[in-house]
Amino acid sequence: MDVPATAAPLLSEAETLRFRRMTVIWGITVLLLLPILAALGYFMRLYQSAAFPKVKPEWFYAVLTLHSLGMVGTWFVGSMAGVSYLLLKYTRPSLAVSKFNYWGTLLGVVLLIVCTLGGLFGTGWYFLYPLPLYSQHIWSPLTTFTFFVALAILGICWTIWTLDILRAIAQRYSLAAALGWNYLVGKPGTEVPPLVLITTVTLIVAVSGFVAAVIVIALFAARALGVNVDALLMKNLTFFFGHVLVNITMYLGVAMVYELLPTYAGRPWKTNRVVAIAWDAVLFLILFAYFHHLYMDFAQPTWVQKFGQICSYLLSVPAGVVSIFGTLLLVYASKMKWTFASMLFFLGIMGWGVGGIAAVIDSTVAVNFHFHNTLWVPAHFHTYYLMGVVLIVLGFIDHVGKELSGLPENPLRSKWTVALLLIGGYGFVSMFYWAGAHSVPRRYAVYPLEVAQGTLYARVAVGFITVLLAGILLYLWETGKRCLKALASI
Amino acid sequence: MIQMHAFYVFLAVAGLLIVIFIYVASSTGHARDIDVHAAYGVRTKFFYVLLAVLVIGLGMTLGKTPYPRNNEIPDKVVFVVGKQFSFGLSDSPITNDEEYEARTYATPVQVPLNSLVEFRVTSFDVNHGFSVYSPENHLIAQTQAMPGYVNRLRVRFTEPGRYTVLCLELCGMGHHRMRGVFEVK
Repeated sequence: MDVPATAAPLLSEAETLRFRRMTVIWGITVLLLLPILAALGYFMRLYQSAAFPKVKPEWFYAVLTLHSLGMVGTWFVGSMAGVSYLLLKYTRPSLAVSKFNYWGTLLGVVLLIVCTLGGLFGTGWYFLYPLPLYSQHIWSPLTTFTFFVALAILGICWTIWTLDILRAIAQRYSLAAALGWNYLVGKPGTEVPPLVLITTVTLIVAVSGFVAAVIVIALFAARALGVNVDALLMKNLTFFFGHVLVNITMYLGVAMVYELLPTYAGRPWKTNRVVAIAWDAVLFLILFAYFHHLYMDFAQPTWVQKFGQICSYLLSVPAGVVSIFGTLLLVYASKMKWTFASMLFFLGIMGWGVGGIAAVIDSTVAVNFHFHNTLWVPAHFHTYYLMGVVLIVLGFIDHVGKELSGLPENPLRSKWTVALLLIGGYGFVSMFYWAGAHSVPRRYAVYPLEVAQGTLYARVAVGFITVLLAGILLYLWETGKRCLKALASI
Repeated sequence: MIQMHAFYVFLAVAGLLIVIFIYVASSTGHARDIDVHAAYGVRTKFFYVLLAVLVIGLGMTLGKTPYPRNNEIPDKVVFVVGKQFSFGLSDSPITNDEEYEARTYATPVQVPLNSLVEFRVTSFDVNHGFSVYSPENHLIAQTQAMPGYVNRLRVRFTEPGRYTVLCLELCGMGHHRMRGVFEVK
């Protein structure tokens, strides 16, 4: 491998140890947040099952807001921490930035909890303009202000973190190399691991998403000062940000699989021309696929909607042909070492694929006309989130916990945990799919007569979530032990 | 119902993917070297098959978007305003809060059977989802009600009866209670 002349030295042993410790702290934090946020989801499905008739619906919407923002944020920071750790092999990310992010993220999360559970702020994750300003006296203007302060804190922290990782990559690789362009022209020169390529593509997209979020917050502030703000512009910016944040989290998870799954399969997974083309295509397509969130905004030009469908369809090509096919090729007839972590990586890619199929179907304008904002939408994003990136990040935490603690796993308990996660997880999302196909709306605290069947589907889902929670608790017991031992031993 | 067709397509394709994953996982029980070049050949074929499926899918669906076409003239226009937490529907434009209030308590608007109806949908406050449910409670059409914009939704009703409008965009604490109604005769 040719190392570029500008290459910075990697971290010293002491610095690496400190970085590992920070990664374990991130991991333990994710493990603490997981059951709390999952319990909020459990509460919502119980509420929709009519289990709490005396609890006011504002609690449902406040919990919905905290659950969705909390889950997206948790898996974003979990995957960022994971990618940072794995990049230590190739680059030199800043430990100080990681620590700064940790405390900044905690502060942001505390403020979000105060706004939602304390102030009943209930706009959903997307705080769609101008809903935060039309509270119907449920939440106060101070709560709205605090909510945007929390978002600003998280946005600033995560932008700095993103830029720092890009800086670390840039210290060792030129932009052209990090984007795999050397492979495109047939002169690879410096070998670029897929982890570096995917992280670079993903984090460039991430910066654009965070910029959109900053503009949204600024325009809310402008509206508070009396400036007239365009609702369609706000919607475009909001969904661009949300779409990007969810997708980059998934891609960071995939980047970890590219790096770690080969160590279990005993085969290499290297960047080549096809891999480079695929991820560079993602960089372009992801920026325009977000239009599929606005299909029902008929004021948006029709050509934009159709372009959104074309980009959404084409996004499945690099994912399917390169990443999912690559995973299958890597594992096929290999001397695969099936551990808890490797099972979760493999199943996480499968979940990404299954959820992606449902997402592509929904990205068809003519189909979205009947599915938009029904439970089909949480069906597919829970599939590629819960059964995709969540499994991958959980696999990563277990991988690191085992690596640093030396505690072996109990194979039987691992298989039981995976079985519970699969049965509970897929059973839970199947009720979303079925309900979506039967026109049941999403984000409804109570189902009115026209869609009363939603209550029954929620009750069935509650049963599956119970199984899922049992799997999560088993996971926490096993992996939590390893992480605590790792923390004590570093 | 298009939703169920989509559901079965999803089940078929996702089921195939899951079967492939199970097959690949089980193959590790008989580890051996594989011909990577032959595998890349399979990948190339998969690429063309997937691309063909997507292009056919685009060809079949891109022309069926629900957006208004300029060469069509609606037989009837219904004006719709969404506001926390009800829809006001009227045969004449709703221009202020008083007219909106009056329409939320008025007798339901009637639209003719088998005619092209255009709903001109807007909002007086936040975003709402103007979502039409058939008498059998299937979601048959929708558009967003946005402040500052008028979205034109065109539907030809082929079945008489009472249609319900639910809100499918989170609009506040009464979101799930928000509704409107009209009749097709």
